[in-house]
Amino acid sequence: MSEKNPAQAAWLKAESRAARKFVAPVLALGLVGVALGIGQAAAIAAVLAHALVGSPRVVWGPLAGFALLAVLRAGTSFAGEIAASKAGIAGRRRLRNDVMARLFAAGPALLRRHHSGEIATAAIDRIEGLDGFYGRWLPAAGLAVAGPALVLLAAALVDLRAAALLFLAGLLVPVGMALAGIGAARAARRQFVAMARLQARFLDRVRGIATLVLYGRAEDEAAQLALAADELRRRTLRVLRVAFLSSTILDVAMVAALIGFALSAARGAAPMPALFLLLLVPEFFAPLRAFALAYQDRMQAHASAEALSALPPAPAPAPALAVRHVTASGVSVAFEGVSYSWDPARGPALEDVSFRLRAGESLVLVGPSGAGKSTIIEMLLGFIRPDRGRVTLNGADIATIVPAALAELTAWIGQKPMIFAGTLAENIRFARPSASDEAVREAARLARVDAFAAHLPHGLDTEIGEGGFGLSGGEAQRVAIARAYLKNAPLLLLDEPTAHLDPATEAEVIESLRRLAIGRTVILASHSAAAREFGGRRLDLRQGRIVTAAERGAA
Amino acid sequence: MKAALRPVLRIMALWRQRFPMLTLGLVIALASVAVGVGLMASAGARLAGALVGVGAGAVLLAGWVRGLGVARIVLRYLERLVAHDATFRALGDLRVWFFRGLARRAAGGLGFLRAGDMLARVVNDVEALDGLYLRLLIPLSAVLVLLPAVVVFAARQSLALAATLAVLVAFVAFFLPWRAARGTLARGEHLSRAIAQLRITVLDAVSGLREVRAFGAEGRMLALVQARSSTLFEAQHDEARGLARASFATMLAAQAALFAVLLAASLRPAGAAGIASATTLFLTLAAFEAIALLPRAGALAGRISAAARRVLENAEAPVHSYEPPAPILTPRGFALRFEAVSFRWREDRRPVLDGLTLEVPEGAHVAVLGPSGAGKSTLAALALKIASPESGRLSLGGADYAALPADFIRRHVAWLGQTTHLFDDTIRANLRLARPDANEPALWQALEAARIADVVRDLPDGLDTWVGEGGTRFSGGQGRRLALARALLSPAPILILDEPCAGLDAATERAFLATLNEAAAGRSVLLITHRLTGVERLDRIWRLAGGKAIAAAG
Repeated sequence: MSEKNPAQAAWLKAESRAARKFVAPVLALGLVGVALGIGQAAAIAAVLAHALVGSPRVVWGPLAGFALLAVLRAGTSFAGEIAASKAGIAGRRRLRNDVMARLFAAGPALLRRHHSGEIATAAIDRIEGLDGFYGRWLPAAGLAVAGPALVLLAAALVDLRAAALLFLAGLLVPVGMALAGIGAARAARRQFVAMARLQARFLDRVRGIATLVLYGRAEDEAAQLALAADELRRRTLRVLRVAFLSSTILDVAMVAALIGFALSAARGAAPMPALFLLLLVPEFFAPLRAFALAYQDRMQAHASAEALSALPPAPAPAPALAVRHVTASGVSVAFEGVSYSWDPARGPALEDVSFRLRAGESLVLVGPSGAGKSTIIEMLLGFIRPDRGRVTLNGADIATIVPAALAELTAWIGQKPMIFAGTLAENIRFARPSASDEAVREAARLARVDAFAAHLPHGLDTEIGEGGFGLSGGEAQRVAIARAYLKNAPLLLLDEPTAHLDPATEAEVIESLRRLAIGRTVILASHSAAAREFGGRRLDLRQGRIVTAAERGAA
Repeated sequence: MKAALRPVLRIMALWRQRFPMLTLGLVIALASVAVGVGLMASAGARLAGALVGVGAGAVLLAGWVRGLGVARIVLRYLERLVAHDATFRALGDLRVWFFRGLARRAAGGLGFLRAGDMLARVVNDVEALDGLYLRLLIPLSAVLVLLPAVVVFAARQSLALAATLAVLVAFVAFFLPWRAARGTLARGEHLSRAIAQLRITVLDAVSGLREVRAFGAEGRMLALVQARSSTLFEAQHDEARGLARASFATMLAAQAALFAVLLAASLRPAGAAGIASATTLFLTLAAFEAIALLPRAGALAGRISAAARRVLENAEAPVHSYEPPAPILTPRGFALRFEAVSFRWREDRRPVLDGLTLEVPEGAHVAVLGPSGAGKSTLAALALKIASPESGRLSLGGADYAALPADFIRRHVAWLGQTTHLFDDTIRANLRLARPDANEPALWQALEAARIADVVRDLPDGLDTWVGEGGTRFSGGQGRRLALARALLSPAPILILDEPCAGLDAATERAFLATLNEAAAGRSVLLITHRLTGVERLDRIWRLAGGKAIAAAG
């Protein structure tokens, strides 16, 4: 059961504390509303009692009081709603900043463990799902105690016995709800699992819809979905049945209180206090009703807590080391006895790798996939740290260089560059946001982006990426090269940049890269023959080890 | 307003099948409201009577009240249950309908649609539609019972009071929702767009974590996410303010009604008239409680309408090619021919194919070579009837593609493309997609041919291993080979392999291509690739250039 998960419970507790500042006004306004409601009950009782047993004249006092309180109450409820919306927004804003900062701090290594869609869902839907937790559940939970207490106080001032009766009826509520809730918690948990499964299934099927259609299985899948949706409906209803039952318990408790009061009224109580007490009954139960309604927001919060507490923890503060300076002549790279493993079960990805590269030199890493080429590149990008040994840039241990400074030093081109939603020019400018239009155009020219951009409807200002024009593999790689030109960093890391290209395009891209490499330190990982013509020293890798010339000869 | 109503009506028409259940929910809701009216009226009368000591019929009335009370509680419970059940059924239908609609036009992938945007439609928009029945239709129908009841009771006291209450009820039930809905159309659009934009930005940032880190763009991306998030929050706060305004007006109207009842009561005291006042007061309280949420629902109408429009837009976009329901001509054999085919993906783009003629004779293994962007994948799209040529024609066994249903063609042409999707299911289920009745040996044979059988055999769960979302539990190369096994399992006589080895290392690629001849013996193969490795055994090789196919050495 979700309640028993300590990580989630701790997470929710911390969130409740953090949100206190914004929830307090909502709670306060709610209490003012209850107080005004008590005043109104008194006013109505006065007027009605007069109408039933009084002399024929208009009781302007209570009537005017009623009107004034009515306007105040409507205003308070308006302000309360606005405050609740603000509390929800403040909570979600803080949480989203926090989650995004954690994601960026965890960096690309995260993508090896989580699917990007899964992370995006956590950062968007799970956080959006907490709106009700901040805006409704937290205030309602507070008001469910304070509101009825206030009403009880008012009742006690009039008739102690009646207050005791009301208190007893109020006690019925948590008892009844707990009885209903024991079954509800488990059913609700199952419902959330079913819901999550259905959603995941649906998204998975939508992503792969082309494959389904081409295998002629769309209809079968639609039938499967219908079954899954029906399963979800049955589970949801099971939860709701119990939820409705607990609201029915509220109804019964309220009716019991009303009948009790009505009976004592019938035994000849004075009309005015009797009516006042009767009218207090709905006021007493209203906060409890709101509490019961907000209970589903709490369930939602549990689901969110589960997803969000599974994300990487908050980043450790950056090491307080000074940013290393880089000389204008470039960057030298050295690996000294470096070992690394992604997953101990699968053995080391790198084992005792050492090499040295002077500023301005080029190094080609050669080897089959899984030999450790990408691991070396990712280490130089600072995505991962060596398990043993050390990596230095210009003699400085890479672990002491803050990420921002490291990013300044390096330009990187991978197998499949990410094209962001936006224009072609914006995608190139990603490398250096402060670049002038002139510089962006120049980078596009050097990387030959202008050659294919000329065929696009708006040239460099054509929208690409999600929802825009799709680029071919070669075109996307040219955008990446243009980014590297624009960034003009002294260390260039190339991770299989031509893996997905045809020979003609590959030759063109290699040619562009060769020009880009002039005057920079370059490390190129590739298993393509054409890329080996890139020039520079060659380092053979096999299963994470460097293969010596003698071994190569033997093999 | 009319334009906003149309998509909503269309959605309701889609719920036709659920009409009996929806109607039942409505009938129970009305019965519950009617009993509620009776309960409040008699309870008010009894109570007032007791207070003034006119309790002659009190005992009789007490039984009556108890009966009504029990009926009210039971009916209320039933109403909620049935109404929610009907809604969930209707929403489930809608999701499946949406999926079918998408399937009809998404064979070419999601195309230019943003994947993030699509998910927003599926998840958020369909959900937003649940308010249509529960929060709009049911309370609106309840007004039909409440309004006459309030008017009749109040009229016994004074016609002026009856008129005042009628106006106030109508104000809350009709005018306020209409007023709230008017301003929210643009707001609903804005809100949906804001969430879709945020989704795209976050997906971009997460998928591009490598780029973000490599270019030190964390701060910038965070700022962009914050900006998009703020836009969404502003839109939401706007909506919250609209809802709060609607509630404010509702509350004032309800209080005004109570004030009118109280005023009338104090104008004409006491005794029997007082009892009538108490009855009317209780009834008024109940009536306004029943309709109190309508103005809020009205404020949501904009969102409901926008959601309905977006759901429909995707599932009902026109399908371009004409589909014969059954083959008009019967193919003789399975020779695949392209005759003088021209094609462009969009009006504003260059033609990809320009008078291309090419033949894959039955049982032949044919390669088409060309650089990226030469239209290789377009060939596959045309051969699978995802797209239809602008001019020229395709034929299968001599029968024109136009005369063959797409389903028929896809039963005979299996495809492995660069975007073939692995589903979050077991290996077995993923393979059986291609042939639901495939037995164990057939599955292993396909895995064997795709050179992945050893890997699968070493897994503790074997064929029942879960592949993870998008095949994430396997490396890229392994995922491709599983997809390959699936294509090979298909009984289709023609196999289209569109860059089957993308992402495989050289050794695995050669091993796969070398076994292809054996694995696909007796079937036609159209191998689309940017280069040959030299191990393929091919009957014919074509080269794509300038939108035409040129025969190369075979």
